[in-house]
Amino acid sequence: MSFETVFLLAGVLLTLSIMASVVSSRIGMPLLFLFLGIGMLAGEDGPGGIPFHDYSVAYVVGYLALAVILLDGGLRTRLETFRVGLKPALSLATIGVLLTSGLTGLIAMWAFDLSLLQGLLVGAIVGSTDAAAVFAMLGGSGVHLNQRVSATLEIESGTNDPMAIFITITLIELLKHQVDSLWGAGLVFVAQFGIALPMGVLGGWLIVRMLKRLNLASGLYPLLVTGAGVALFALTNILGGSGFLAIYLAGMVIGNSRVRQLEHVLPMHDGLAWFSQISLFLILGLLVTPHEMVKVGLSGTLVALGLIFVARPLAVLLALGPFFRFKWRELGFIAWVGLRGAVPIVLAIFPMMSDLEGATLYFNIAFYVVLMSLLLQGMSLPWMARWLKVQVPPLPKPVRRENLGIYSEDDYELYVFEVKTDTLDEVPLRQLRFPSDARVAALFRGRQLIHPSGSTLLCQGDMLCVIGREADLTVLGKLFSGDAAPTLNRSFFGDFTLEAEAPLKDVAELYGLTLSQGQQDMTLGAFIVQRLGGQAVVGDQTDWHGIRWVVAEMSGGRVTKVGLMPCEVDRGSGNPSD
Amino acid sequence: MQITDILTPERTLFGVSGGSKKRVLEYSSKFIAQQIPSLDADEVFTRLVAREKLGSTGIGQGVALPHCRISHCDQPVGTLIKLRDRIDFDALDGQPVDLMFMLLVPEDASEIHLQTLAMLAERFADEGLRRALRKADSPQLMYEILTANQLPSGED
Repeated sequence: MSFETVFLLAGVLLTLSIMASVVSSRIGMPLLFLFLGIGMLAGEDGPGGIPFHDYSVAYVVGYLALAVILLDGGLRTRLETFRVGLKPALSLATIGVLLTSGLTGLIAMWAFDLSLLQGLLVGAIVGSTDAAAVFAMLGGSGVHLNQRVSATLEIESGTNDPMAIFITITLIELLKHQVDSLWGAGLVFVAQFGIALPMGVLGGWLIVRMLKRLNLASGLYPLLVTGAGVALFALTNILGGSGFLAIYLAGMVIGNSRVRQLEHVLPMHDGLAWFSQISLFLILGLLVTPHEMVKVGLSGTLVALGLIFVARPLAVLLALGPFFRFKWRELGFIAWVGLRGAVPIVLAIFPMMSDLEGATLYFNIAFYVVLMSLLLQGMSLPWMARWLKVQVPPLPKPVRRENLGIYSEDDYELYVFEVKTDTLDEVPLRQLRFPSDARVAALFRGRQLIHPSGSTLLCQGDMLCVIGREADLTVLGKLFSGDAAPTLNRSFFGDFTLEAEAPLKDVAELYGLTLSQGQQDMTLGAFIVQRLGGQAVVGDQTDWHGIRWVVAEMSGGRVTKVGLMPCEVDRGSGNPSD
Repeated sequence: MQITDILTPERTLFGVSGGSKKRVLEYSSKFIAQQIPSLDADEVFTRLVAREKLGSTGIGQGVALPHCRISHCDQPVGTLIKLRDRIDFDALDGQPVDLMFMLLVPEDASEIHLQTLAMLAERFADEGLRRALRKADSPQLMYEILTANQLPSGED
């Protein structure tokens, strides 16, 4: 095949995949599944008929693509989500992976009549949730989860690959009789985490320094991050640490650094992550031989269903249940979103590369399980989120949002809002209750720029340019969002919101509630947090005295506003997307 | 609980001059004390202000539902007020307020208190209703709009 033909094929497949993303959102089919499907159609059993069997190429592409996807995932992980997500995620990434792999391994051993070690290897290969799949799902499906759930899933998917990789490699070595002792294996494991942690944080810090110091053409900043990130990834691997964990951590350090250059870095890395996902899944789709995979169909289905309905739920229950305060619904949802993606398939190439007996079988099982997981779990995800009530109403967003880039720290941003509601008609600007720091900088009406003053009367359809900070976004969004959001918020957060600082006894006095001795001196916020137990997130609710109390707003980890509504009124709360 | 149980045409006010949140609450307290002599204007005002301190009763879209429990009050009392100008009410969504429904309930009526408020909030969430109330040019018409079983359909 000539180079030109390869380029033509690559170009056509890339374009097709991108166009397929339009279809995906319409029919609710997971995007990654479509990419895999296109790869399979182009492959030897499909109309494309391309015979592609080069596992080492797929391995290299897969490895690199995963690193880039994790870097992008890290860039977008907000440090504040650590408050509620870190500990449970780490528990899932370690104990959880171990349990999932073990249980799935036993099922695979039984279903395929394998030895214990071989079964466990299958379990390990499909043991970790996929960062690409989970990030894509959290970002793209329009599902707005409560923070405890989304943070846990996000951090889990970014940190659980080292564990799965470690178990896989150890088992392969055990199967090839290359392991000296389990003690040695344990050391390898400690090194994976122990080296990746400082490397990731330090590397991230260094990259931030470079971004700040170097005066570059704007297009070079994202490339600098990519280049340095991949170098860090490789170096960590060479030193014996987990490169995946290191590059994820570095991404997180960079993404949370608030350096001005991030505005150039993020859009391009978004594109790079997409490109990586598409190439990864296309190549894996090309690599598989579907008619061989069909042979594992029945037993593969058993393994997939066992993983989805037994292993993952049990692992989630045991890794989270005893240690953290999750609601049953939340545990159920986290168990359901054990999305498998590229990682298992890339891991399934490991046995191929080390010439292990039965390597093709492992690859086909892994591929089959991933397909089932993407289809079954991926497609039902929005529906599941509604059913288990783990969603919160999304904050109304500005039409545009632009960093002003005047100060590198704590910067002001420019927000463009459209006045969507006619209740603001004829209202002078000065009567709007603005966050103290925000200012209206310009107003466009019918394509005309109007100089705004306090007496300027608003009108539906006006475009307002507001300069403010991120903290003002909530208030501004509510102000201009129009009718939809308030109605939605009302049914979710209640009719009224009270300040969390309000003394509980004043609230009790107002609504005729009786307090016990210890409650007399509490604030409303402290009382609600105590009733909820653990870390509160927006959307948490508790029933007390016939009233449903809902955490309506938080700032810096503290509850700032509490909504209330009568318990008896069923407004189908928790279904904000209906 | 129906709106007709708590609201009368006499307690529907139209074109009240605003000024500030405090002025409007003061005016409303005096008005209700004139209508129902057993109520004390100062007590109503103090309690309404105390309620606002815990969090604004401005529920958004230019609507406020100030409320409190009150002594010497034997049944829930509602007052519907349309302000001449919009005033800053420190509302949830930051929008100024021109429609107000004040609800006073007896001390022992905490059960139905919230139910009634929820019912009112539900009613005022109707965009067509708000528009009709804002267009109405007499207290009688406002009363009819709010108490009508069939919501006037918003012509949009």
